Amino acid sequence: MSFLSTLFPAYAEIFLLAMVSVILIADLFTSGRTKTVTYLLVQLTLLGCSLITVATHQNGVTHLFHNMFVDDLMSDVLKLLSYLAVSMMLVYSRSYLLARGLFSGEFLALVLFALMGIMVMISASHFLTLYLGLELLSLSLYAVVALQRDSATATEAAMKYFILGALASGLLLYGMSMLYGATGTLDVNAVSAAIQHGVANKALLVFGLVFIVSGLAFKLGAVPFHMWVPDVYHGAPTAMTMLIGTAPKLAAFAFVMRILVEGMQPLMIHWSGMLAILAVLSMAVGNISAIAQTNIKRMFAYSTIAHMGFLLVGVLSGGIEGYGSAMFYAVIYVLMSLGGFGMIMLLSREGFEADTLNDFKGLNQRSPWLAFMMLLLMFSMAGVPPTVGFYAKFSVLNAAVAAGHIPLVIMAVLFSLIGAFYYLRIVKLMYFDAPESHERIYMQPDSTLLISINGLVVLALGILPGTLMSVCAVSVQQSLLLH
Amino acid sequence: MIGIETIVFFMFAALSVFAALRVITARNPVHAALFLVLAFFSMAGIWMLLEAEFLAITLVLVYVGAVMVLFLFVVMMLDINLEELKEGFWRWFPVGAVLAAFMIFEMVWVLGSRQTAETGAHLAKHAADYSNTKELGRLIYTDYVYPFELAAVILLVAIVAAIALTLRAGRAKKKQDPSKQVLVKSKDRVRLISMPASKKVSAQPDAAKADQVKS
Amino acid sequence: MSNMQNLYLLVPLAPLVGAIAAGLFGKVLGRTWTHRITISLVAVSFLASLAIFQDVLAGHQYNGTVYKWMTSGDTSFEVGFLIDRLSVMMMLVVTFVSLMVHIYTIGYMQEDPGYQRFFSYISLFTFSMLMLVMANNFMQLFFGWEAVGLVSYLLIGFWYTRPTAIYANLKAFLVNRVGDFGFLLGIGLVLMVFGTLDYASVFANVHRYVNDMAPIPGVSWNLITAICILLFIGAMGKSAQFPLHVWLPDSMEGPTPISALIHAATMVTAGIFMVARMSPLFELSETALSFVMVIGAITALFMGFLGIIQNDIKRVVAYSTLSQLGYMTVALGASAYSVAVFHLMTHAFFKALLFLAAGSVIIAMHHDQDIRNMGGLRKYMPITWITSLIGSLALIGTPGLSGFYSKENIIEAVRLSHLPGSGFAYFAVVAGVFVTAFYSFRMYFLVFHGEERFGKEVHHPSTSSGQAHAPAAHAPVAHVVAHTDAHHPSTGSGQAIAHDDGHSPDAVHEEHHGLAPGQKPHETPWVVWLPLVLLAIPSVCIGFITIEPMLFGDYFKDAIYISHAHHALAEMREEFHGAFAMIFDDLTELPFWLALAGVASSWFFYMKRPDIPAAIKQRFEGVYTLLDNKYYFDRFNDWFFAGGARGASRFLWKFGDVNLIDGVMVNGTARLVGRLSGVLRNMQSGYIYHYAFSMIIGVFVLLTIRTWFE
Repeated sequence: MSFLSTLFPAYAEIFLLAMVSVILIADLFTSGRTKTVTYLLVQLTLLGCSLITVATHQNGVTHLFHNMFVDDLMSDVLKLLSYLAVSMMLVYSRSYLLARGLFSGEFLALVLFALMGIMVMISASHFLTLYLGLELLSLSLYAVVALQRDSATATEAAMKYFILGALASGLLLYGMSMLYGATGTLDVNAVSAAIQHGVANKALLVFGLVFIVSGLAFKLGAVPFHMWVPDVYHGAPTAMTMLIGTAPKLAAFAFVMRILVEGMQPLMIHWSGMLAILAVLSMAVGNISAIAQTNIKRMFAYSTIAHMGFLLVGVLSGGIEGYGSAMFYAVIYVLMSLGGFGMIMLLSREGFEADTLNDFKGLNQRSPWLAFMMLLLMFSMAGVPPTVGFYAKFSVLNAAVAAGHIPLVIMAVLFSLIGAFYYLRIVKLMYFDAPESHERIYMQPDSTLLISINGLVVLALGILPGTLMSVCAVSVQQSLLLH
Repeated sequence: MIGIETIVFFMFAALSVFAALRVITARNPVHAALFLVLAFFSMAGIWMLLEAEFLAITLVLVYVGAVMVLFLFVVMMLDINLEELKEGFWRWFPVGAVLAAFMIFEMVWVLGSRQTAETGAHLAKHAADYSNTKELGRLIYTDYVYPFELAAVILLVAIVAAIALTLRAGRAKKKQDPSKQVLVKSKDRVRLISMPASKKVSAQPDAAKADQVKS
Repeated sequence: MSNMQNLYLLVPLAPLVGAIAAGLFGKVLGRTWTHRITISLVAVSFLASLAIFQDVLAGHQYNGTVYKWMTSGDTSFEVGFLIDRLSVMMMLVVTFVSLMVHIYTIGYMQEDPGYQRFFSYISLFTFSMLMLVMANNFMQLFFGWEAVGLVSYLLIGFWYTRPTAIYANLKAFLVNRVGDFGFLLGIGLVLMVFGTLDYASVFANVHRYVNDMAPIPGVSWNLITAICILLFIGAMGKSAQFPLHVWLPDSMEGPTPISALIHAATMVTAGIFMVARMSPLFELSETALSFVMVIGAITALFMGFLGIIQNDIKRVVAYSTLSQLGYMTVALGASAYSVAVFHLMTHAFFKALLFLAAGSVIIAMHHDQDIRNMGGLRKYMPITWITSLIGSLALIGTPGLSGFYSKENIIEAVRLSHLPGSGFAYFAVVAGVFVTAFYSFRMYFLVFHGEERFGKEVHHPSTSSGQAHAPAAHAPVAHVVAHTDAHHPSTGSGQAIAHDDGHSPDAVHEEHHGLAPGQKPHETPWVVWLPLVLLAIPSVCIGFITIEPMLFGDYFKDAIYISHAHHALAEMREEFHGAFAMIFDDLTELPFWLALAGVASSWFFYMKRPDIPAAIKQRFEGVYTLLDNKYYFDRFNDWFFAGGARGASRFLWKFGDVNLIDGVMVNGTARLVGRLSGVLRNMQSGYIYHYAFSMIIGVFVLLTIRTWFE
């Protein structure tokens, strides 16, 4: 077997890197403001990555690069979904960014770099690669947020994101170094084994764990590490917000799985307690603060915080049910926020951002179909059956009940009830209020088609969630129990 | 038992903590930058004790020699008034200090306990002719080739990001428009204005304003 | 997945695709493509059912899960198919009748603006009904049950601008809720006791619980009896059994094709099907069977009486349907499940035929439904006439036709039953034969024979709105409509168009009644009469062909379980000597002569001496009023349930909702949340060092908890 063929589980990453380089160069030689060639190349790259990931899939868990890279079903599924999310994000945001002069070759390259960071994180089985993937992702995102240089809010958002992100990285690194001190290794499986055999120093481990959980909480946007979320979501151009709010959440989920579940399963009693505090605070602060918002992007930011709290409930419940439902929740969350932000961009036009609640008033009169899609998305976010949001919440709560976290479940239900208010308020605005402007909505055919599919999938998955749920459960099971 | 290494370690450690504190308390920004240099030096000393000679030298060469010099240039050119930036620093200092004290107490409690000191992984000592640099090079190109490549990608991202954020298309090529040149009047040519050398920092960032306005 | 499984999936999914296509893209597709697509998909479904039927006859059965919907604790909710002889027979009946109705609709709904919507609904109905009959678990059964109810609700109120239609669909909805409540409780009890919703595992374990008591506090009912009666309450709602029958006559407000499909051939028989499917449960409880039989007997006889005095052509058929459903229920009670299902099948054909023929007459009469305005249509619409005659003959049980075999066997099974109440049931079903023959032929004679009463200047007030089903107090609008209609002849004589005055444009269709003076009815287009002919064929011969395998052969041997204590069917099997012999045997039996008497007396009363009925009506004023008010069921319901519910609701609204819930709980909570929200928003100051500080506090809190509270 030649050296190259031993690398085949990482072919998707290698292909992506090669293609980014090609795109960076090709972009120099293609003229035109619309960047059609570059855009198509990027979409082709994503398609190629998907094909490679599917083609190189194999059963079981494969390690590569001296145990620094892992390929299993969970990583393949999450990668495929990340490609999909990035691809959808580009379709939604293309005309929005073109209208604002932000659709540049650099933007596309940075998006692909961010995707690469996501892939590295998803496939990492070593603290070093986890960290490098995180930095790769974060650095690309900081730059993407700052791309709109003449906007004060975007620059400010980028600055906050960068500084707080650096602080979180510091916390994470500090925790990792404590872990290294306690176990003498950075390999996730070796760490797990060292903890299992009692070789490692317990106090030092738990001490490091606190910092690691803090760093993770920042990435997820869990309270009290959430303060960056509203400002960045609000300040960044909507397309960038969509990029931050979607695929990276899959990476964050993988991050939590790799570090906490694979690396520190024996310490579960310690970290599940911490996650419970973060989860309750996130659901409370997220849902309650969202009510007071008049800017819909800011509202989505708080809703994200609340959703991440829910996701943490799934993770801390443990077991295939718990992790599977958390993965399901992450996937569904990504799907819903793609639709939500896509709707904002669809209603925006040159020089106008449809990002306040008032912009959604009377949408039903202006475009009944879009209003209906938004209704589906909002119902799903609120967890109203038969949309998939209900099933996602239900499966998480189910796992939590099975794990015996009854008080947590009660609080989760209470806070989602509070949360339902602000989602349904949008529905009320769309259907029962008079529109403030009667300007025709210019519906891009590609985004309109995509948002229709997006909304209908939210409904269809709610009626038939079984397949996706079992995919999630099986991937979690395969990547956790086989080693 | 306290050996010479321990004494040297505590010396460097105390020095780096002191230098780091001074970085944030110094009134003169140039002083602050120079204290940062001191902090780097003392950290390099600690790395030496850990037998990471190559890294220690790199730290001095790269950070002190290159990064900090650049940093000093920037600080001197911008003429930042640190006092203004640090407005309110002393007002909130007690709160921060109490929290910091608690944190330090807890960290000492956990890490300073006898049990923690005794267990934990230990690094093997090497002979004097052991080449740290060679070993590092070998590892980077074998076991750690994947992270090494990733680090390279991160540098590439940094380059792309830096260019994307600073390059303004069109500024580089300036064209002459003869008709405009002919039409121009004397009062259009020069505009005299008076402005302060440093801008006053706005009291509230924009996003915060957005939040306040709504309430 | 094997080929057969794909075929099973195809059967319900093809109409679903049709429904989605017609519902979402109907405007784009246009009328012609809408009906082409939906009809061909239903035809595909029918052909697939035929193929499955072949396969099942060859001895293959299937019981398996297609899709796991979700899991909650130990209970899993699945979509699965149980394909055996019972379900495949139902699939054939449903898809065939549905196909006929789809074709018929092209003609009937021709002018209606809701053409595509109608096709979407009937295809959706077909899907739901197929899901119901193909279910292998209670969850899916319930899904199908509710889905057909929903579509029925939508279709009864299809002409939603008519107040009477809205009243009727609301009534159907509410009455069915009562039944569904019992049904849901029954399913809940099954889940609680057996821990599963799968038919097979429930039936396999049922013998262990024969002597258990129901886990309902305060009462000591036998568990199986409780389950059976609760499930049967569901069947009473859906299959319109006394006293939950009140919605079916009003459901005639819907367009005629759905009266044929839903309210005669398929949906209303879901209850019968369900009880037959649950035979392993019902067989263990004599109390439940007795209950079933008595309810069926009451429905069979007393609803038949009401058919005699109706003047709306569709309502006569509707009451006849109620009565026939009663017959089926009686057969279930007598443990003759196969006979009930057999009657279900024959009834589906001839009743769909009668409804569609009535629809054909209605088209010819320009949407006048009053049989007093008809007469002598025989020579104008020969095909409708001959097919109606076949349908009526089949309904009354003319020897040799399909209705004869099924009804005769029901009577026989009841005679041989020894359950409490079987004596009354026997009397009811035998007397019912006379009543059935009488009202069927009353309608037949009034419509097709005798004097031509159409095209006259003075119409009887149209029954569809004139004979208001909505009592005055609650549907004043309905009476306004009736009022204007009654006065139309004086204002709009000579001009049919004048009848449209005062109606909204949407409601024009079917609102203009009757032929203008001098106008003659003529035969309907082929899309209307073709289904009549195709339905007439099985109405004639299906009984003769299938009686032997279905009742006395072993067609249902795996699908239906009959305990050895109930031997009615076994005794009948011994007496059976072939379908021909049965005809001759019957000529000496009571039911045959009763049917003949019914036909003869209706001829005498309505053809020979039309003055007699009027005289009877005068003499027995009290009885007539009782029947005319449908035994005062609607009045009672309106006064007791509707009025009582309104009173209770008003109290709960004023006190509970406004004061307690809105005042204290909702608004109080909202105020608290709003205040909290304001506080939290102030914490989001925008200062970066506040944010960093909050992160450090987070670390500190986590660290403190880890360090000190371990």
